[in-house]
Amino acid sequence: MRPTCRGLAAALALTPFLAGCFVPGEGDSNTDANAASSGRLGIALAVPPAQALSPYSNDATVLSKLSVAEGLTALDQDGAAAPALAESWTRKDVTTWVFELRKAKFHDGTEVTAESVVNALDHANAAKTKPRVLSDVTLTAKAEDADTVTISTKTADPVLPLRLASPALGILAAKAYAQDGTVSPVGTGTGPFKITDLTGKTKAALDRFDDYWGGKAKASGIDVTWIADGTARANALRAGEVHIAEWIPTAQAELLDQDTRHEVPSVRTDSLVLNTAGGIFADESLRAAAREAVDGSALVDSVFGGYADPAQGLFGPAVPWAADKRVEVTGRATAATTDQVKSKTQGTTLRLATYTNRAELPEAATVLQQQLEKAGFTVQQDVREYTQMEADLLAGRYDALVFSRVTLLDTGDAVAYLASDFTSSGVYNIAGVKDSGVDQAITSAAEEGDTAQRQQKIMRAEAEILRTGAIVPLVHEKVVQGISTDVEGVLLDPRERSLVNVDTHLK
Amino acid sequence: MSSVTSDDSADARTVRWRAGAGRVVAGTTLLTAVALLPWLSGTDPALTVLRARSADQDPTPAQLAAVREQLGLDEGPFTHLARWLGGLPRGDAGTSWVSGEPVLPEVTSAFAVSVTMMLGALVVTIAVAALISARTLYLGSRRALGQRRAGTGAAFLAALPKFLLASLLATVFGVWLGWFPSSGWAGPGSMVLPALALGVPSGAVIGGLLDQSLPATFHEPWVRTWHACGLSPGHIGLHALRGVLAGLLPQLLPTVVALVGGAVAVEKIFNIPGLGRLALDAAIAQDFPPLQTATLALVLLGVVAGLLIQALRRALLGPALRDGALSAPHPPALPRRRSTRRVAVFCALALVTLVVAGLLRDPLHVDTAARLLPPSAAHPLGTDALGRDLLARLGHGALRTAGLALAVTAVSIVTGLLLGMAGQVSAGLTEVMSTLPAVLVGLLTTAVTGPSVWGAACAVCLVGWTPYAAQAAALLEQERATGHILASISCGADSAHLLRHHLLPAVLPAVLRNAVLRLPTTVLVLASLGFLGLGEQPPTPEWGRLLSENQPYLELAPWTVLGPACALVLVSVLAVSGTASGRRGA
Repeated sequence: MRPTCRGLAAALALTPFLAGCFVPGEGDSNTDANAASSGRLGIALAVPPAQALSPYSNDATVLSKLSVAEGLTALDQDGAAAPALAESWTRKDVTTWVFELRKAKFHDGTEVTAESVVNALDHANAAKTKPRVLSDVTLTAKAEDADTVTISTKTADPVLPLRLASPALGILAAKAYAQDGTVSPVGTGTGPFKITDLTGKTKAALDRFDDYWGGKAKASGIDVTWIADGTARANALRAGEVHIAEWIPTAQAELLDQDTRHEVPSVRTDSLVLNTAGGIFADESLRAAAREAVDGSALVDSVFGGYADPAQGLFGPAVPWAADKRVEVTGRATAATTDQVKSKTQGTTLRLATYTNRAELPEAATVLQQQLEKAGFTVQQDVREYTQMEADLLAGRYDALVFSRVTLLDTGDAVAYLASDFTSSGVYNIAGVKDSGVDQAITSAAEEGDTAQRQQKIMRAEAEILRTGAIVPLVHEKVVQGISTDVEGVLLDPRERSLVNVDTHLK
Repeated sequence: MSSVTSDDSADARTVRWRAGAGRVVAGTTLLTAVALLPWLSGTDPALTVLRARSADQDPTPAQLAAVREQLGLDEGPFTHLARWLGGLPRGDAGTSWVSGEPVLPEVTSAFAVSVTMMLGALVVTIAVAALISARTLYLGSRRALGQRRAGTGAAFLAALPKFLLASLLATVFGVWLGWFPSSGWAGPGSMVLPALALGVPSGAVIGGLLDQSLPATFHEPWVRTWHACGLSPGHIGLHALRGVLAGLLPQLLPTVVALVGGAVAVEKIFNIPGLGRLALDAAIAQDFPPLQTATLALVLLGVVAGLLIQALRRALLGPALRDGALSAPHPPALPRRRSTRRVAVFCALALVTLVVAGLLRDPLHVDTAARLLPPSAAHPLGTDALGRDLLARLGHGALRTAGLALAVTAVSIVTGLLLGMAGQVSAGLTEVMSTLPAVLVGLLTTAVTGPSVWGAACAVCLVGWTPYAAQAAALLEQERATGHILASISCGADSAHLLRHHLLPAVLPAVLRNAVLRLPTTVLVLASLGFLGLGEQPPTPEWGRLLSENQPYLELAPWTVLGPACALVLVSVLAVSGTASGRRGA
């Protein structure tokens, strides 16, 4: 028995050591009591940091949601460019813009200068995997004097000020950019809150930045917890462990108190994408039959529990100008009748794909399957994790896909989405659209400099795309944000770029 | 096979050498297989890494080439494996492909969190197992065991899905009562609920096995003698427990230690930054360095825990194991409780009614207007979020679910027995595979089979055999060290005779009992691979899927999970009580 006793003793001696293995910083984590008294906000975010909050990754939006980093510009309510670190700007010629900087300080105490802006933009340009916002443009930034920056592009870029509002182009202090290409926003931003501590993929602590150019923030700090599971996020809010929980899933929304549940129309549109490049939906009349069979409004109250709007087109109510400028779709193919569908498909199964990452999509697929079967199709579902099926999608190994897409990407401008998803040279053209009418409409929208004209041309492109029948918009999603009644001044942003700002505080 | 008992130290050394070699070979094979994953899977690792970094990134050829060049993906798997191995002695496990952060600190902290959680679950497991077997132990040590019990209580608890238990505990104790944090990992308080969710079903399996093995030990001649000599019941009970525990300890490896990497669902629900989630995220992003390091940690954990358990067993059994002086416990011919049969008949009737009634209805008809209706005359078990009739879905899913789970279990038992009989050589393989999460194996399998039902079955078979192999190996070792085997050998029995007449009859019933208790787990593990495209595709009804797809509605519409959970419990209780009343006075 002796060796066992020794082993047992060793194991017992280890236990307290292991019991210490909790996430560091638990001392100040009694968020509820402490936070309330000290005015710190507790926030549960959904997507854990992928690259230690590097602005060139998914994490960029965190920096803007929590008001840590700022770009030269920001987007206002209507999606137009508003001043941020740049006080004003002028377009000198087609490819050159001049930005006047305001007096501001980085979290590390250094001044924001034209040099630091140039340095930040150069790093973004040279990043190993380029941030999406720069995928179709090359910027050259030059410091004219201490507070003037000239930015020129190779080709004309009418949306440059919108582009610069992208969280990926946030301006960080020089020490943020390491030799090996990594970028750390910890203590290097300019916003009203500075990150003091980042614990892996679980927690971050932010303090108020007293030297913020826009005045002192009302909240003294923010404690961020990343909770990937939607139910757990809702639980954390209901249990009073956090004050704000973003993206409450449909199934949990009804459990929240009426006054903590806030709906925000989102720029995300869920659609049925049909593979026009091959398979049964290469046939235009079958695509039309599918379009007529599918009814997205049936999903609104069931799958989305009321947190969605029936689709109007590619762009929903979160894009405020879309409804007024919408162009009627003409020249659509006639739909095949049920009998024609049956004889044309000859029992070939329709491979209906979707992915599990968004809980509502598999449910939507099941509803759509029934609708398509009524129209004479034989349907087989293929449901997997997105990364498990992306290669198959891009290679066209599917017939129809229930797809959720953000329609206003980093630029805040719809053209980027249309160009990558629907032009014949688009890199994310899952539907395999090759249509000269569509290409022309998108190109002409991309070249348009005047905002109103550009929006009109975008809507014309939308009509062209819908004419091809390659995509059937189903619903425009709404996001449910859980906000405790103790908090005031939370921003409900359809673009999901802002959440907390200077004015957000506990009552 | 080496001779049954041997004091020959050279022979013992050979056995130890073989066992060591087995561990090294098993570990190496696994690590190599994992290293090949990004290249085997047919999915470009550059694409998955890019997605993990930035979901909205367009996968342009230029971007993919940049990732490929940055990570050196063109160098092939073996260069990466060699570089990773080369760094290990220096304490450098490389940097994550996705985040660019050093891997070792990340894996170490996740490992520590998971081990702490597992130790908590171990405490609960022991407590639950003790409660379940307390009655038998009390009565047995007083020679008062009158009737054989079927262990329906244990079967009931063992059939509770861990993720459902976790959701329930988080809602009740975290949100409603506020006794414990609903999620997070910030102190001993956050350990309670996960430990309960993980420990109760595990404890039920261990307790059920313990409860079933105790009567045989209490039936051994020495108990009568000791009792007659007036030794205290406590003394007798302790001694009996010692013998039984030696056979059961190896079960802790696949049941409890495996939770370090295999508790992904519970980690998600409680937002615990554990190793299971880390490994899964890394595997999905095909992020090789953290995945490889996590696998290595799990392999080492398995081997260390295996050695520890073996040492503990040796200590419990003492020199009797080596000297071939163990006695062979055989179950007494106790009368069956009549209630056992009644329970079995009740469960069978309930299930048949459920299935027949369900088969008469349409399981696929979606009616968005009938969303989440509570049970009524029109829908006896209510409807799910899409307005589908739950009774119909249960009934249609029954055969498919049970059939696949039984087939997988049968293959696992056979594999387990074969490997268990191979003795020490396979011990390493058992230890290494025990701690490996099924999801990881699922990913490796999809690379070969593609998404299919067979892929899921293969993946679960690949890990599912470990409890049976561990059990068979332990019981065989004990059985070989009994006097009557020695006697048979001296009478000239060959190994085939020994196997047929002594070893298998001693091992098989215990292994079957184990398999019956683990049947619900098998159903759930099969369903947990669904997101990889393994298994039946929706909307085909299948019990595991019914549970997981309705889990979010637990609080809003409890009936959506209650039906499937009850059905699973019914099957489990039926299997246990059915086999108990079927075993005629052995």
